[in-house]
Amino acid sequence: MIVTGLVVGLVLGFVFQRGRFCVTGAFRDLTLTGNTRWFSALIVLIAVHSAGLFLLGTLGVITLEESAFPWLASILGGLIFGFSMVLAGGCATGTYYRAGEGLVGSWFALIFYALVAAVMKTGPGAELTTGLRSITVENGTLQSSTGLSPWVFVAVIAAIAIALTVHHRRKQTVPLATLPPRKTGIAHLLTEKRWNPFATAAVIGVIATIAWPLSAATGRNSGLGITTPSANLSTYLTTGDSSLIDWGVMLVIGILVGSFIAAKASGEFRIRIPDKDTVIKSILGGTGMGVGAAIAGGCTVGNAMVSTAQFEYQGWVATFFMIVGAGIAVKTTIRTRQQTAAPAVAESRSA
Amino acid sequence: MKQVLETTGLVCPFPLVEAKDAMQTLESGDELVINFDCTQATESIPQWAAESGYPVTHFDRTGDASWTITVQKA
Repeated sequence: MIVTGLVVGLVLGFVFQRGRFCVTGAFRDLTLTGNTRWFSALIVLIAVHSAGLFLLGTLGVITLEESAFPWLASILGGLIFGFSMVLAGGCATGTYYRAGEGLVGSWFALIFYALVAAVMKTGPGAELTTGLRSITVENGTLQSSTGLSPWVFVAVIAAIAIALTVHHRRKQTVPLATLPPRKTGIAHLLTEKRWNPFATAAVIGVIATIAWPLSAATGRNSGLGITTPSANLSTYLTTGDSSLIDWGVMLVIGILVGSFIAAKASGEFRIRIPDKDTVIKSILGGTGMGVGAAIAGGCTVGNAMVSTAQFEYQGWVATFFMIVGAGIAVKTTIRTRQQTAAPAVAESRSA
Repeated sequence: MKQVLETTGLVCPFPLVEAKDAMQTLESGDELVINFDCTQATESIPQWAAESGYPVTHFDRTGDASWTITVQKA
């Protein structure tokens, strides 16, 4: 029943678009503005997902497999991915849902990301990827190297998530400006109202948890993933090998369509043609994301949400280096633009 | 005084980055009208205004995936 992947993808794409959930923004803000709000929301997501996964594992609904820790690939891939997603203006998932909103720059990023992910996973780059990923250390998870129950770590991350939520709730003293409502009831809630980032994060954590058993039921024993499915999709499109169409491929197609539905229903879909600099940055960013995600073994979903929730070193190390990579991109690409753009910022008009 | 900042066509984070820049040149009480079409800025610009203690005097849609927000320097 790989069609459940399509359904999960549709819901997820919808939630990402409406919630404006952007991991690139979360990581970029840490360097650009020092704002930790979206990053804290990501921690909430990981905590919810973690509790959900280990609950399903304990109940015997799913089997979480342990693997070794490809440390070099996690560091290198994380750095490349983090740098590239800032260039592309969105991570893999962000690029999918922005593509659904009609941003042509994201279409370029998406095509190059999916193509290059295939190049690096099964094409001529596969040897390099496999080579880097074979450099490992034993015991790939916190629970296996400490011998502690994973529930200890679930409790720790849950406590951190609660503390961060309380902190940001207290910090928010002024209510945010919102758009004047034109809809009521469920239409207002789903296609107009601003969604709180922490609520959105918790919802995504729940969807990610439900995703695992649904995917496992089709023989794909893993949770949400974007990079391998994207690579499979481009390989299928170029070879016609329909055995590649699995739950994950349905998921990413669902995300694209779900975000389009959300944007269209909310009056937020419009074909937007970028300038030439943005096109070039999107292509370079998409290419880099394909390389980085293949090497790191996942993007901001596979690594920063799912692998982290399993307390795998790969997820946490890759996430840390994505933040570092994003920081380097902020310093080298965003600040420069800010300076050059500054003199021509605005025309003045007296009111 | 009202200043208009046109960021339509710019993807995030540039609308906010440029808004912050433009705000620095304004006097207290002046208003900055930011026109933008990056969806994520519907969250990040109000958030920035709230955190900086700047009142938002106007916020509305100007069409499909287009918005305008007026932030007053306080």
